[in-house]
Amino acid sequence: MAIDSVTLEILKNHCRAAAESMAFTLYRTAHSTFVKETEDFTTGLTTPDGETFATPTDLGATWFVGLNYKNVIELIDHYDEGDICLTNDPYSGYVCTHSPDMHIWKPVFHQGEIVCFVVGHIHNTDVGGAVPASLSRTLSEVHQEGIRIPPAKIMERGVMNEDVMSIMLANVRMPEQNWGDLKAQIAAMNTGERRVHEMIAKFGVETFREGTAALLDYAEQQARAIVRALPDGRFFFADYMDEDVANGYPCRIALDVTIEGDGLVFDFTGSDPQIEGSVNIPTGGEVRHALIMVGLVYVLYSLDTSLFLNSGVSRVCRCILPSGTIVNPEFPAAVGLRTLSVQRLQEIIFGAFVQAAPDRLPASPASGGPIMNVNAIDNKTGRRVVASIDPITGGAGGDPFADGTEGSGANSSFMKNTPVEINEAEVPIRILRYGLLPDSGGPGLHRGGLATVLEFRAEAPNTRVTARNRDRTRFTSWGVRGGRAGTPSIFLLNPGAEGEVNLGNTDILTIGPGDEMRVASGGAGGWGNPFERKPDAVLLDVQRGFVSQASAKRDYGVVITNGAIDQAATAEARARGSGEASNAFYDYGAGREEFELLWTRGNYAALTELLQALPVHWRFFVKHRVFETVEALDETELRGDGSEIRAVFADVLKNYPQLRLPA
Amino acid sequence: MGCRVGVDIGGTFTDFCVFDEDSGALHSLKVLSTPGNPGAEVLAGLRELEQRHGIKADQITYFTHGTTVGVNTVIQRKGINLCLFTTEHFEDVLEVARLKMPDPYDLFSRRPEPLVGREKVFAIPGRMLFDGSEDAPLDEDAVRAAVDAVRAVGGEGIVVSLLHAYRNPAHERRVVEIVNRAAPGLFIVASHQVWPIIREYERTVTAVVAGYVQPRVAHYLGSLQAALVEAGVGSEPMITKSNGGVMTAEAGKTQCAQMLLSGTASGVIGACQVARMADVRDALSLDIGGTSADVAVVRRGQPQYGVGEMIGDFPIHIPTVSVTSIGEGGGSIAWVDAHGVLKVGPESAGSNPGPACYGQGGTRPTITDAFVVCGFLGAPDSAGLGYGQMEMRNEMARDAVATIADPLDMSIEGAAEAMIKVGVSGMYLEVSKLVARYGIDPREMSLVAFGGAGPMLACHVARELNMRRIVIPPTPGVLSAFGGLIADIKNDFIQTVYLDLEDANMPTIRDGFDKLRAEALQWLRHEQAFTGAATLLYSADMRYRGQSFEIDTLLGEQDIGAGNIAALAAAFHGEHERLYEHADVDAPIQMINLRLVIVGQPPKPELPPLAEAEAELAPVQEVRIYADGAWHRAAIYRRQDMRAGHRFKGPAVVAQDDCTTCMLAGFEASVDASGNLVLEAEG
Repeated sequence: MAIDSVTLEILKNHCRAAAESMAFTLYRTAHSTFVKETEDFTTGLTTPDGETFATPTDLGATWFVGLNYKNVIELIDHYDEGDICLTNDPYSGYVCTHSPDMHIWKPVFHQGEIVCFVVGHIHNTDVGGAVPASLSRTLSEVHQEGIRIPPAKIMERGVMNEDVMSIMLANVRMPEQNWGDLKAQIAAMNTGERRVHEMIAKFGVETFREGTAALLDYAEQQARAIVRALPDGRFFFADYMDEDVANGYPCRIALDVTIEGDGLVFDFTGSDPQIEGSVNIPTGGEVRHALIMVGLVYVLYSLDTSLFLNSGVSRVCRCILPSGTIVNPEFPAAVGLRTLSVQRLQEIIFGAFVQAAPDRLPASPASGGPIMNVNAIDNKTGRRVVASIDPITGGAGGDPFADGTEGSGANSSFMKNTPVEINEAEVPIRILRYGLLPDSGGPGLHRGGLATVLEFRAEAPNTRVTARNRDRTRFTSWGVRGGRAGTPSIFLLNPGAEGEVNLGNTDILTIGPGDEMRVASGGAGGWGNPFERKPDAVLLDVQRGFVSQASAKRDYGVVITNGAIDQAATAEARARGSGEASNAFYDYGAGREEFELLWTRGNYAALTELLQALPVHWRFFVKHRVFETVEALDETELRGDGSEIRAVFADVLKNYPQLRLPA
Repeated sequence: MGCRVGVDIGGTFTDFCVFDEDSGALHSLKVLSTPGNPGAEVLAGLRELEQRHGIKADQITYFTHGTTVGVNTVIQRKGINLCLFTTEHFEDVLEVARLKMPDPYDLFSRRPEPLVGREKVFAIPGRMLFDGSEDAPLDEDAVRAAVDAVRAVGGEGIVVSLLHAYRNPAHERRVVEIVNRAAPGLFIVASHQVWPIIREYERTVTAVVAGYVQPRVAHYLGSLQAALVEAGVGSEPMITKSNGGVMTAEAGKTQCAQMLLSGTASGVIGACQVARMADVRDALSLDIGGTSADVAVVRRGQPQYGVGEMIGDFPIHIPTVSVTSIGEGGGSIAWVDAHGVLKVGPESAGSNPGPACYGQGGTRPTITDAFVVCGFLGAPDSAGLGYGQMEMRNEMARDAVATIADPLDMSIEGAAEAMIKVGVSGMYLEVSKLVARYGIDPREMSLVAFGGAGPMLACHVARELNMRRIVIPPTPGVLSAFGGLIADIKNDFIQTVYLDLEDANMPTIRDGFDKLRAEALQWLRHEQAFTGAATLLYSADMRYRGQSFEIDTLLGEQDIGAGNIAALAAAFHGEHERLYEHADVDAPIQMINLRLVIVGQPPKPELPPLAEAEAELAPVQEVRIYADGAWHRAAIYRRQDMRAGHRFKGPAVVAQDDCTTCMLAGFEASVDASGNLVLEAEG
């Protein structure tokens, strides 16, 4: 580093102060309640090349630490002082990752030269398109997900570009909100610009330039030191979403992590073809795309929380993202609900790294719970109410040191709930229960965190319930090192009543007065052998209502009688239980084990290879035909080595003479 | 005439500020705190007062007191074995909290263990609704069974917090009655009694913190009352509150939730008074101690208020003077990371062992040690810290700083200055967030610096923030005690209404305010037995329909009485505009809570002006100080020699009993008529 380490640390604090000040300014002046409630926005400072050297950590989304603005910066051919640019097109430079995210950047000049950019994004509640809020998993083309503005100047030399503005506002459902939030973004950019000028006045422009580059190097050095402490090797992990489209087939993301010295390679070969739905992850195949880096940032930061978070961290990693797959879809695949797939992707990265550092990292966090929205007419006021009632989160995975946190944690730690009393005041529903779901955490030496459960009753007719990002009804959160998987997520209509309906992964339905719903996320995975968990800890879990007496006996071998541990019976149960315990590194849960009897790693390798050879627009279609056919196979035909898939594939293709394979 | 005494107990020192009404003199005094024997330090201080200033206990006519006993009980987890009763099916309220974790980037981030373990939370069937109607009756047998369960786990007290009790507390009241009958003498407190706000987690956690400490605080206050009587102090002690006011110690025994953050709050009250005396409109108050720096915004001479301030690990949702606590102070430790980068904090040497220069066993370099190495502290003749309790060991400071100078490849004094700069840049980061949150510009504000280490760091902090003016009060080391001395008798009242702001609802709103006024007057006139002038401040937590957060908006009493909707709305639009820089004048407005603050103003001490200077201020000696990379000569002045109108330039050191002011080159000092030391950036 050219700059001395003391100046670097001082400059670091000033740069972070600039990024945090931008975030607080945006948060304070934003118009939409959505931004205030969810903090779904970012701010930051980048080098003239677009590498983010400072981001806020107090406020804002946790997903965009490694975001690189280079591509969109280059899509504007000339900058003048006072220009501000924006884009919300996921296919222009792969900085924006779905259409509601409005990204904005402003060059900061010093004596006629660009010294850095101030940048940021905000999630708009709506940007037009086929459905309100612009997001639905039924959409299959990005064109349906609202208006897309390719990189353009919204301000030129300090003057608003009214043309761009009016086109945008004409195409959205709540133009005042978008306009208000854009003003807040502009205010944040101006705050950042002012702070940069102050820094240059204090440190001098050369120190500033060298220092910002050094901050990236510093984060890189820190990240490399963390990676170097991990063993070299290849670590494979794959996991699934229950369905690729509504009532579809499982969707797999596969990852091979190579750790070599202080560098990493993430190879996503083996991941499913891009989907005729909206859970695709638009990365453009970038070697370090922010959406892929989220999971890596969590891992590295959790291994050492002194890590300074900026784009330098992601320099340790290089990704292989095959084109036409869920992790690198081709235009115009829909991408609106990549939230769900990116969350699974994070867990897959955790799953690969826990092999490398089983004594330093946790089991899988819970997921699969939705963001619940209710849309109904309030009986008291006659007014329509549209409200987000709660994110249904679940706990953190058990870890080498302690139980997973209950109800929320790990990569859902940024979520906030809505108080029961506020929901009942605002929304025509009655909440019957809100809390933790007993027995949902994967048993372990350190238990997985419990799911949250919400039960409510509709009070008005035609109550529309949306449950975005439902998943994990079949493939559950994995346990590790003898720790067990968490329970599946739950979504029931009228539980326990005559007409109980298991809604599975349904994400939208209409219910009426008196209808009751129960929704729970999955439970988190456990860490370590549950039969070695201290009996007192099991007893306390039972006293707390977190674990039932039956589970204590079955899953932990702890027999509790009259509120106390029966020592003799416990010793016997533990001896028996330990004998039966599996030695597998992961426990995937019953749903996945059953699925993988048929869909082995060998079969998936064959499928990947075969689909890869097809034109992109055929892959998803053929995948579904192969799944249909394979399901009908007789058990005796299953070998798991890929041969049955090759046979089925050949049969399927016979039905489609229209498909011409490239020579 | 007699003496007014303000006492503030901190972690290390107990501060006394005494106003002698006969002579107009303001005395300060510090004695070591005795956390193991709370109250003993008060008596020790009273003895010291008599010895030093000849003030006898029976001359004390007004006694205010701030204590950290409540906060420490939470931090050290030494409260009572508490149980919680909640509405059935909502027993996990403390476990789930608001879901969000302290550090969202860390997979290991966890919430603090609740003060009541889930095994001591008991479900009470029965349900109130949002509108205050009863949906299901209270299951009284279940309450009695829960009392048995409390006994079974050895519970020493109960908090009852039921859904919608802020709206209709009948079930909570009935639970209290049943418990009182079933287990006479068992401590119980209901959430609506502590602070009746909507939002079950916030109301419950506030009541739980209060319940957890209340028996301890009540016991402490009882001992204090007895000790003061025995010492011969005739007046009822007044206790400082988190809202910046005071109440009687007797009231504190049951309303202890309101006094948990009194120390920081009364510091800000003191800073506001200093700002007013120095003719400063807008200021940042900066109170730096050994382990933390507390920063607050003062606008138009008034503190800002908020809710959700932290008591240890837990937020408490009671109106509190807003203070941002930064984990950096005089005791913050410097270290060098694996990549050769100098860091300061978050670890602190605290008061034990304290900085290396205290010679109490500390070996790692702290910010205070850096100031010693740079020559600002520890000059042979300058007064030590804490009234001679601490003697500076300069060599130990140098040795400690040397441990980081080596890896940094710097001179010892160079490393010391680097430590100060890095430490100050960390404070700059936190203050930047604060000013961005308020949308204010520190360059237009003054810095009121106090606390043991505030005046030491003030010039560095001001320079980093581009602030032009610093005000250092006459007794910066005991400003919290001073704040208590001048505080008003004050209490907050709240009622949730959740109504649209429209004509049809005005009668309900008016009735609500009438009820709050009656409660408030009852509190001031009867409970506090205060007969002097009183002020009533009306406000409401308001928002645009659809928003999820409210703004406390000051309202005109006449507008409420006259049902002037337009004026009430305009007040809200104006406040929204001021805070968020936009307002939506066509949007419907909701009134969530009605609020009322009652303020009784006891006569204030009138400080006589400082005598005019007759000659130039003479330094008592000269030292060499290291700043901006070189050694310079600097004068040491004694604060007690200063008279109104004295002026001098930095670099300089100002020594006084309770702290040391370190003045950099580029600042010019003047002494105002109130005795404040005003440092202004030159040029």
